[in-house]
Amino acid sequence: MVNVTVDPLTRIEGHQRISTEVGADGVITDAQSSSLIFRGFERILQNQDPRDAAFLTQRICGVCPLAHGLASTNALDDLYGVAESVPKDALMMRNIFQGLNMVASHATHIYVLFGPDLANPAYKKVLTTLGDTGNAVWNEMVGRFAPISYKMDGAAVPVGSSYLAAIPEKKRLQEAIALIAGRMPGPSSLYPGGYTYPATVGDITKLSTYYLQVMDFVSKHTLKVDFNTWIKNTYQASSPQKAVSFVTEHLTDLYNKTSTSNDFSKDAGWGDVEFYAAFGSELVGEKILGLPASLKHDTIGGYKDPAKICFVSYGGYYKYKDGYDPKSPAGDRIFTSGVVTGKLEYQKFDPEKITESTAHSFYQNSSNDLAPAKGETVPYTDPNKIVYTGGSNSQYSWDKAPRYDGMAGEVGPLARMLNIKEPLVTGLAQAFAENGYSAANVYTRMLARMQETAILAYELLNWVTVDYNPNGKISVPIDLNTAKNNSGMGLWEAPRGALGHWISAGSDGKVTNYQCIVPGSWLMSPRDSKGIPGPLEQSLIGSKINTVGDVDYTNPVGIFHMGRSYDPCISCAVHTIDLTGKNAPNTLRIL
Amino acid sequence: MVEMSTGIKNLVRTLDSVDFLKMDRRTFMKALGAMGAATFLGTYKSEIVSALELAETKLLWIHGSECTGCSESVLNAGNPDLVQALEKLNVNLAYHETLCAQQGIWNDGKLVNTAELNSEILQEEIYKEGNYILVVEGGIPNGPDGSGRYLVIGNKPFKQTLGEAAKNAAAVVAVGACACWGGITNAESDVAKDTDYRGVAFSKTEASKGMLKELGIDKPVINIPGCPAHPDWVLLTLGAVILGKIKIPDDLSAVLDEYNRPKVFFPPDHVVHDNCPRRGYYDRGELDEEIGGPGCLWKLGCKAPYAHADCGIRRWNGSVSMCTQAGGPCIACVEPGFPDSSRPLYVEREDVGVAGTNIDTVAKVAVGAAAVAAGVHAVRRMGKGE
Repeated sequence: MVNVTVDPLTRIEGHQRISTEVGADGVITDAQSSSLIFRGFERILQNQDPRDAAFLTQRICGVCPLAHGLASTNALDDLYGVAESVPKDALMMRNIFQGLNMVASHATHIYVLFGPDLANPAYKKVLTTLGDTGNAVWNEMVGRFAPISYKMDGAAVPVGSSYLAAIPEKKRLQEAIALIAGRMPGPSSLYPGGYTYPATVGDITKLSTYYLQVMDFVSKHTLKVDFNTWIKNTYQASSPQKAVSFVTEHLTDLYNKTSTSNDFSKDAGWGDVEFYAAFGSELVGEKILGLPASLKHDTIGGYKDPAKICFVSYGGYYKYKDGYDPKSPAGDRIFTSGVVTGKLEYQKFDPEKITESTAHSFYQNSSNDLAPAKGETVPYTDPNKIVYTGGSNSQYSWDKAPRYDGMAGEVGPLARMLNIKEPLVTGLAQAFAENGYSAANVYTRMLARMQETAILAYELLNWVTVDYNPNGKISVPIDLNTAKNNSGMGLWEAPRGALGHWISAGSDGKVTNYQCIVPGSWLMSPRDSKGIPGPLEQSLIGSKINTVGDVDYTNPVGIFHMGRSYDPCISCAVHTIDLTGKNAPNTLRIL
Repeated sequence: MVEMSTGIKNLVRTLDSVDFLKMDRRTFMKALGAMGAATFLGTYKSEIVSALELAETKLLWIHGSECTGCSESVLNAGNPDLVQALEKLNVNLAYHETLCAQQGIWNDGKLVNTAELNSEILQEEIYKEGNYILVVEGGIPNGPDGSGRYLVIGNKPFKQTLGEAAKNAAAVVAVGACACWGGITNAESDVAKDTDYRGVAFSKTEASKGMLKELGIDKPVINIPGCPAHPDWVLLTLGAVILGKIKIPDDLSAVLDEYNRPKVFFPPDHVVHDNCPRRGYYDRGELDEEIGGPGCLWKLGCKAPYAHADCGIRRWNGSVSMCTQAGGPCIACVEPGFPDSSRPLYVEREDVGVAGTNIDTVAKVAVGAAAVAAGVHAVRRMGKGE
């Protein structure tokens, strides 16, 4: 048994440590996920003007500031009693800038954070022993996904073509947000009751042009099959089976055309999505398509006990109508709220079923599984107690352990796609479950993110060119007195998953309580009071540290994939410390 | 490479021999506001490469307690983008936690593999070789009890990492409000004294409480504040340091202000208000009181009159917009002590003057009957500050 620890897990947002025990067969038998920062964030909002929250909570995360800004603005709409009257064109502006941010965030994750691991030398070692096909596949992987400043065997490796092309595209997407929001990150355009800037006809034209440029990148690098054909046959397919068949048939055609020449290049029709969809999975690649090798990413990062895991979505993106119901995100959101169990059964989302445990976190009163609004936690102030090496029975993280109905909850693209019954992702999840794999695994998690990116690109075009009316109303006034002795709830979906902000104000209209439940807390959570591990921990235990080739404790690339497949955001996970009651020093909670 | 007009080409030629961080504001605004980072760095590159090959410079970029927004911002750099800029300047981004291929890999508590895959071994090698530029993003917790254990990365308090990295650095650049003075991590709260967050060289406005001083390390630090920092500010400053256009430490006292900010980007005699796209509305006394209008945002709490930065001329994200252009008040995120110094964000500030002028009086006069005349008067009075 070898202790294999990754600390820090880089190429994520924030600072994360993954500690594992690994047997001689390379299988992980125990794992702890630790978030390494304590920041004391929401405390700074206490006794302040509630309106500041939408600005300042954006600073929880610089990668998804808009999601925090919007969850906060939803809570403020509720606090000031204007949620039901926010004009529809203001809601479209919010949709557009969140949609653009989610696309940019996913693209960054796929190309800059996750992608570089595909150029790991472990794959070179295995693939280059597999003759011409293996060599061709390796050359594509390193040629597309190698990161900046990368060296292998002492020699500098040129930056990958997809990586390199993605950086200006990400920049372009952020520019599109800035056009309607002032700047990115840290935009200034959110305010309860509406939006501060009505995009003009000129802006719409520019946004459309940005759109075409981004789609040009997509067609050159990401998806070689026609984009609309893809959407029609996957997102809009009449059944999950049809969506999966469309993709496997498309990949089979491609492979039949290019297998004899061993040409897996973009020019030959292998976009990054097609390439990963085929070569990333053992089931799809080897068993269905008959490829000689695959990365077997569907064999790691899965859940072994369906009773301990579920997939949670709070719901995001407004429908095109005036006002919305802040307390019922299921009815008037495009991405619905909901819960899918580990056995892929659908349930209604009930916020009352959320509890939190601090049994394994660095807080003094680590005891009961309380509802988010009730718990109180005092952080360790003794430096000697902040130790990360005590194992699964110890306290080992600044993250708390949120649970839904006693289960760990995966949030994010895979949870959202399952909850809206997106045909391709649902079909893949079912296919994996039926063939002895976990429905959720590194591969389905990544494909869900890719598919969500495509869906958002499709919906964005509608919001920009069809729904939004540049001559429409952009805001309704708020009455600051409404906040007095009132509270507000904002449920939303960040790129990384379900995000909730809650606010209360006192008789002076100032903040008395502010709290968040964020995706990072769900995904990276340590064990709870019953010893149930968090989603990342569950996915690590029972998985191999190397999916292909020999066991290599010094290059546990499987751990890198599993950790990064969740797109961890540790700043979010640990920066969400709420206020519990007025003027209550040293009582705070991490959600 | 972007196309240059003849006028700009002439301007570039006259600038070739000039150290831009030493320029006065007017010259700089004319030059950089117009031509941008790409032309500027590109010009220097061609000049220098033709004479002598630009030696490779190593950049070590470390992350404290942060939101990664400043790295995001630098990734948004356009013309040149980050990769192009590094190429032009022959920079080796030797370590950057969000971008590097490496990660910390430990077997039974010991570092394994090589610097090609292990970030901790890589960092140790970089420290040992020395002669690198250190960039710090994020705040540094001193708590609890001076241990720094509220942020531990790779089994080491970040406070200690900063010390090891700073010791052998040729230059230290703090990027973003958190690294400069603690920023949002250092905001007033009932836990602030426990967390005890610091900037690299300052805590809020206090130079005596910077983390390097706490560690007993005496190194000059350049502060590039902002929440986030503008990519041009970061790349141009790094460019000037790398190209030897600014000598450390000899030139620093002349090019930096009292908070170690390069005066060209954060001019003491110039505020965002001066070049705000909504300035005309202010001058006419058209002050919006609800969001979504076209007018001046002063009544909505805009802090542009107190923010010493060139946002108004430079704009953001490929110069497409800026905060006030999109109808949100400026939050003066470049000032030491942000966000406390700017809160409450949506309430107009009445007690601070601008460059010797009492803006409150000016604004009140401006909304009076003789709005236009008062506006003109206000402009003249504001102008005196220059």
